[in-house]
Amino acid sequence: MRDVVAEPDRVDRSGSAARPQRRRLDVLPYVLVAPVAIFIIGLAIVPALFTIIESFFTVNELDPPTRFSGLSNFVELFHNHAVTNSAANTAFYVVVGVALSTVLGIAMAVLLQRPFRGRGLVIAILILPWALPGVVEGILWSGIFDPNAGLINNLIATLHFGAGNGVLLGQNRLLTVGLIELVQVWQMTPLSTLLIFAALQLIPEELYEAATVDGANGWRRFLSITLPLARPGIAVAMVQALIATLNIFDQPYVLNGAASTGSSVTMETYFVSFQNLNFGQGYALSLVVALVTVALSLLVVRFIYRRVEL
Amino acid sequence: MATRRSRATWLGAAGLAAVTLLAAGCSGGSGKAAATGASTQTSGVTITVALPTDPPPQAALDAFKAATGITVNWSSSDWDSLQTKISAAATANTYFADVTNVDWSRVGQLGKLGWFLPLETYLDGNGLKADMPQLASFTLDGHIVGVPYDASYMVTTVNTDLFAKAGISTMPTTIDEYTNDLKTIKAKGVVANPLNIPFAAAEGLSTYWYETTQAFGGTVLDAKGKPQFTDPSSAGYKAAEWMVNAVKDGLVPPGNINVNDSQGEQTLMAQGQAASTFSDYSGLINSLYNVTDSSTVAGKVQYLETPGVSGTALNLSNPDGMGIPKQAKYPAAAAKFIDWFVSAQTQADFSGLNGQDKVWGSSFIPSRLSVVQQLSQADKLADGERLAKMLKTASPVFPDGAPTWYPTFSNAVYTNLHAAATGSMSVADAIKAIADVANQQSSNS
Amino acid sequence: MRDRRHHPLRAVGIVLVILWSIVPIYWAAKSSLQTESAARARPAQYVPLHPTLANFRTLLLGSGNVATGIRHSLLNIVIECAAATAVTVALAALAAYAFARFHFKGHNVLFFTVLATMAFPPYTTLIPLYRIMSAFNLVNTYTGIVLVYVSGFLPLAVWVLHNYFSSIPASIEEAGLIDGASRLQVFWHLVLPLATPGVISIALITFLFGWAQFLFPLVLSTDLSTQPLTVLIAALQGRHIVPSTLMSAAGILAIAVPAAIALLFNRYIVNGLLAGSTK
Repeated sequence: MRDVVAEPDRVDRSGSAARPQRRRLDVLPYVLVAPVAIFIIGLAIVPALFTIIESFFTVNELDPPTRFSGLSNFVELFHNHAVTNSAANTAFYVVVGVALSTVLGIAMAVLLQRPFRGRGLVIAILILPWALPGVVEGILWSGIFDPNAGLINNLIATLHFGAGNGVLLGQNRLLTVGLIELVQVWQMTPLSTLLIFAALQLIPEELYEAATVDGANGWRRFLSITLPLARPGIAVAMVQALIATLNIFDQPYVLNGAASTGSSVTMETYFVSFQNLNFGQGYALSLVVALVTVALSLLVVRFIYRRVEL
Repeated sequence: MATRRSRATWLGAAGLAAVTLLAAGCSGGSGKAAATGASTQTSGVTITVALPTDPPPQAALDAFKAATGITVNWSSSDWDSLQTKISAAATANTYFADVTNVDWSRVGQLGKLGWFLPLETYLDGNGLKADMPQLASFTLDGHIVGVPYDASYMVTTVNTDLFAKAGISTMPTTIDEYTNDLKTIKAKGVVANPLNIPFAAAEGLSTYWYETTQAFGGTVLDAKGKPQFTDPSSAGYKAAEWMVNAVKDGLVPPGNINVNDSQGEQTLMAQGQAASTFSDYSGLINSLYNVTDSSTVAGKVQYLETPGVSGTALNLSNPDGMGIPKQAKYPAAAAKFIDWFVSAQTQADFSGLNGQDKVWGSSFIPSRLSVVQQLSQADKLADGERLAKMLKTASPVFPDGAPTWYPTFSNAVYTNLHAAATGSMSVADAIKAIADVANQQSSNS
Repeated sequence: MRDRRHHPLRAVGIVLVILWSIVPIYWAAKSSLQTESAARARPAQYVPLHPTLANFRTLLLGSGNVATGIRHSLLNIVIECAAATAVTVALAALAAYAFARFHFKGHNVLFFTVLATMAFPPYTTLIPLYRIMSAFNLVNTYTGIVLVYVSGFLPLAVWVLHNYFSSIPASIEEAGLIDGASRLQVFWHLVLPLATPGVISIALITFLFGWAQFLFPLVLSTDLSTQPLTVLIAALQGRHIVPSTLMSAAGILAIAVPAAIALLFNRYIVNGLLAGSTK
């Protein structure tokens, strides 16, 4: 991006006759940009400032008026069992979700790396999970997890592993969070795959040929060429997955309701704000999530991202 | 220069917009004037009625329209979502309905926050009080926040057929006898999991625990909101233990950790898969279990006087009420609707006294004592005598009204009891967690 | 030669990828065509033996609350997504063009700010937006919901369209300008047609984003007058006993439109997403 230039790029050669034209040019970009600027400032920046500022206030419908309260919102949240419990669940979602979607994304991107007949169709099918609403995916998968009519239990019965009527969600915590995250991974992986796929497309064929000539086998080529050169794409994919998993709401809400077994931090933010009507705590929780997102994203960029010149 | 001036103009405009939004946001919410656009018009308007039930027969609504000129737009949803909607609309000062649900448990909160219009200005409070024993639960500081449209209370239902198959001839009168009977039913293989407890993390679980606590002879919170269930010998503690142990002992189906109360009654009990629901809804025999379209146990279910510690215990009063949210567009029309809905004539129609075609499937028991007595006399109320007897003694779980922070408390109750049932928490820890929330909330307010 | 050696493994991989993407959707489609007892039957039916459209009939043609609710919320979601897409693409195109072609004071700051808001975690602004909308009495209105959607979708749209516009050689526009056309005429007649694939891509992606929204409309739309299909269907799960087959049918209804869009227009969508990812 070029540096900001105070004068318009059109060089004024014709003196005063060009003045009206320059004035017209000066206003136009601002007119074009103004609507977006108003939206972003009014409905993104200002609300974000709200969140930051009001998390240090008591904003509670049951406890008016709004007043400054320092860190008390954060302290109360820290002592709220439901919130700390959801933080543990969310940590699981993040670790498992980012790891699994990235690994699967790399695997699928490598599968698609070389053109083959029908690749377009495979990509079309592959992006389906990404295109569907997370909420409805939760409903589709709850049909798979259903104790009686679900796919998993039906398979268990068919393969004679058991009676095939086990309760999969809600009973065992590890199984519950695992299955919930599986649904989110199903949704996130297509985007990871595409991002890494785009990075792979930039790797020149000659590098692989040279490596083969040198005697490297497939696995070696993957580790030494593919993986390192795909790092920019992998980093972006990981950041996307990070944001999605940290803010997970739809899947646990639909699959396991208000129970604490699979509850996520965003769910608790929703309950604290709209059920308990304690908006101050809701802001505080949102702020914490935002800070964690920024911190972890910076870590990913610092350690995974690498500027690649090809 | 032109550049700087136009830039300044635009940035200034954007900044002004931002400041306006900021200022508006700060003053938003409860600062706004109440009931903008409220109208005293009645005839010719359309009101929205939002309740957690299915609508009554269309013929009844048509008759109402013919008599008053008011068209009713019925909107139904599940209880938990509706409560969130009520809060959201009230805090946002937006209109979403002219008439909506006022649950006994939220009267404290709704009344204190002024979210509902006081009904004594629109209706004859004294007349209602005389015929509705449960109106007191909906009154706060002399204001009528809502009017009960049913006399719902929690009651134990038993499938006598399944009890008989297990060789039990006399019905249990204490909770120990009750538990043993259920174990017998399980042991004899009559039903694999005879006891119905809806352990999904939803309001129905809290209500179940309140009823069980009363059966064990105690209360949940005192007038100041302090927990009464922290001691292991207290009723609430024992009730929680009893419920969770029932899951561990296999008396409750393992899948019930995901079943909420409406699913529990509508599937398990009505399909004969459960032998008893300890805390069921009064009137369900009439409206569900005996209706051959939706149940396979018609004629087999009866009410049981609550088995308590040493004999019959009281029932938990759990009436559903309706009120007018303060943002209603047509409060006068809404009041007419409420008046009509809870009138003796309408309640008699809904409960089947005047023909099956007028029955409203979601009516449990009418809130008017006079109609209940009529029903019992006309023998139209299944197990009517028992019902009327228990109605007279049904008592609210919060004798001094539910605290304003009730939703927070109930959330703690059902999430922690659910966690104890799944085994991820001990009963002791669950009780402590619930008590902590009660202590914290009561000391804040 | 190297490719052929990898073929069997890659073929297996491709099949697994396809199964992974399709099976959950297939399972829901299968159960939606079954009665509840057929779905629970043992031995399990992996293909419906007696397919029936009863579930869909109940949901779409019935006269009960559920059916009217579904029809109404389907209308709502289409209106909300279409409006949000139209406004987003229009505003983003204008702004992206300005960013791509003009140098003006504040260009960098503004551009960076718009993109930086993409990095906000999605729900950071949920509560304040709710309170702002309620202050203006816009809760439970199409306007309020569309405004919130647009504010969320603008950054990516600006970014993607900026990439497309930047890749169009300036010489084409200069030719038009020399011929006496105004900037806006050049934009409309010369630039936009060339950028049509990009515009279509971001329009489709924005529409899909709108369709996928859940928590924002859950909070901002309090009843059927504005509730989108996704919120209503999630609420169905919380209501009376809804058989898993009926829920599956509702799910299939909710994914029909986005699935069709994704399959039919996948080229545009993939290109749009990839254009949004290149630095």
